[in-house]
Amino acid sequence: MLASGLITRRQFLQSSAAAPAAALTPAASHAFTLADYTLTIAPYTLQVSSRRFIRTTAYNSQVPGPLLRLHEERPVTIEVTNRTSNPEVVHWHGLFLPPEVDGAMEEGTPPILPGSTARYTFTPRPAGFRWYHTHTFAGRDLKKGQYTGQHGFLSIEPRQNPARYDAEMFLALHDWRAQLLASDDGSMNPYYDVSTINGHVLGFGEPLRVKAGQRLLLHVLNSSATDCHWIALSGHQFEVLALDGNPVPNPSAVPMLSLAPAERVSAIVELNNPGVWVLGEVRQHVRAAGMGVVVEYANRSGKPQWRQPDTLSWHYHQFESTQPTSPGNSGAIEVPLVFKSKFTGHGDLDHWTINGKSFPHTETVALQQGQRYRLQFINQSTDHHPVHLHRHVFELRRLSGRPTRGIMKDTMLVKSNTQADVEFIANDPGSTLFHCHQQDHMDTGFMMLFRYV
Amino acid sequence: MGTGLHRVRVPQATGRWWAFAAIGLIASMPLKAQGNYEIQVYGSDTIPPGSTMVELHSNFTALGQRSEIQGVYPTYHQEHETLEITQGINDWSEVGFYIFTSEQAGHGIQWVGDHIRPRVRVPRSWHWPIGVSLSTEIGYQRPVYSLDTWTWEIRPILDKAIYRWYFAFNPALERTWHGPDVHQGLAFAPAAKVSYDFTKRVSGGIEYYADYGAFSQFDSFREQQQQFFAATDLNVSPKWEINFGVGIGVTAATDHLIIKGILGRRFNWHKPSAVE
Repeated sequence: MLASGLITRRQFLQSSAAAPAAALTPAASHAFTLADYTLTIAPYTLQVSSRRFIRTTAYNSQVPGPLLRLHEERPVTIEVTNRTSNPEVVHWHGLFLPPEVDGAMEEGTPPILPGSTARYTFTPRPAGFRWYHTHTFAGRDLKKGQYTGQHGFLSIEPRQNPARYDAEMFLALHDWRAQLLASDDGSMNPYYDVSTINGHVLGFGEPLRVKAGQRLLLHVLNSSATDCHWIALSGHQFEVLALDGNPVPNPSAVPMLSLAPAERVSAIVELNNPGVWVLGEVRQHVRAAGMGVVVEYANRSGKPQWRQPDTLSWHYHQFESTQPTSPGNSGAIEVPLVFKSKFTGHGDLDHWTINGKSFPHTETVALQQGQRYRLQFINQSTDHHPVHLHRHVFELRRLSGRPTRGIMKDTMLVKSNTQADVEFIANDPGSTLFHCHQQDHMDTGFMMLFRYV
Repeated sequence: MGTGLHRVRVPQATGRWWAFAAIGLIASMPLKAQGNYEIQVYGSDTIPPGSTMVELHSNFTALGQRSEIQGVYPTYHQEHETLEITQGINDWSEVGFYIFTSEQAGHGIQWVGDHIRPRVRVPRSWHWPIGVSLSTEIGYQRPVYSLDTWTWEIRPILDKAIYRWYFAFNPALERTWHGPDVHQGLAFAPAAKVSYDFTKRVSGGIEYYADYGAFSQFDSFREQQQQFFAATDLNVSPKWEINFGVGIGVTAATDHLIIKGILGRRFNWHKPSAVE
């Protein structure tokens, strides 16, 4: 029996299931209007290779789910049917949406109960590469939540698109068949047997077919429940245009991309090196687990070529504004958030605290509309944390002691034992969730809510 | 790496009042001597490939066999130092090698014997709910320390960590290839461990070691070896293994008080680069 006043995230979600729907409404109330898109959440067996099948849960019987192309500021209705035995919710990651439809039960979005259908009606903004995914509790069941195939691309088309490219492709990096194993940090962590790009291991499924001379716009999403990934395309470079769907002030060419869970990168690849290449994870053991895809130029054949990079290289600073950074105070109110782990046994996941408390007991920070806030992410743990702020976008301001400007994100990786500062303007009233996007961390307390006053 | 209690089965008499009983038992019991050289319950993990674990097992028998039995030195106040070197082969197998030594007043420092111990484990990719491995050990010990000079052991290993608890069970089977017990057949010598994580670095619990005798007919309880250790593990670093314990024997055939310690250091010969 739990002590009085102590509730877990799972219990919190169960109690919030009774909350009334706002913009998320039962489908029956719209019986005579057509939805713009329909999603069906159901069990699905994914064939990741010629001999390997993974039983999971997916949207519309595919992994990733269907690419939804929405238009900025044009209202849309998406009908979602839950054919699983668990309550579900769909989070529209990176959009500025009211809490009622944002897709986090912690904020007040009602769950879609098993066997029922609901409609999300909202006006998508801002433009850019977003994504949608489940936002449910998994705990020690590594076949639930973000460990499943419940993720899909969301492209919010701008009213005017000045981008110059010839072809556009979306890639999702995902890890499968997780199990909890003891790790060197003394606690259990999820480890994976299989890693895929768009649901297939390297060499299985269709290659990415391209043409010489084209400018290929790649949108890469890391939908892994817990792991960071590094991606390279042999023989080519990436010109990074946007992070988390937000244009960077200083687009730069880099040899590889790095994405923490929930991060996205949009980059141009100049297709100027005809051949058959591998686009894959830079780390050999992850690529061996399947994370890769063949990139095949037209009229080229042969064995796909891979050139192994010697090191991992990536830093947000590469894309920051080149304008001098003002050392002065931006007028932001500082909100220090200290991340720490709590040991609960060598046979258990670590539990997590923000300022000494685990969700749902974490403090609820009050925000004033229009005020600028500076969140100080003080990571006093040996784990990296991809932290995500719902319904808002923030600007990176200081990374490991070095100031920066101009990079707007909704998810960022705070490295172990470092501090990162970001700033955002409280311009979207409503309950706002902040959490680590690692499924095992958010399930064990790494969450908090902001509220507007 | 862990292994079981390396002992040679024995009627054991400790202390003055047991000496008379032991003499009486000698006529009716198999003449064996207990050898506590490496006292540890195995966990299922194996050493990673490219790594070597070097461990020193130090055991002191504070209360043990005081008299020589058929030329086998008594265990009383024997200090055992065992060097164990384990090499990881791949992510599911390893090979361990032991050098057993003994120091005792009147006998000085002596080489006791050597064992070799290949081990395989169920690969992690099989996703079994508990850790399982299988160890087999073959070795020689000098007759002044054990009348059974060539022995073989097969040791299934099962373990599981659940929250702060750790459970391990080693239902080992032993066979003598050369010595008085050669006709005895398989003997049953289980070991088990239950421990609790008090903190991230300090765990403590009970270890149990036993030898029930031949499978075909277990020894009477007083002739069995039954030993309980209060033990602690210090988890200071993944590179280090530190274990300390005090054990009592609860049957006549068991050394009655043993103090043990294990100090291990893992060496990684190949430091993988960031991209490996």
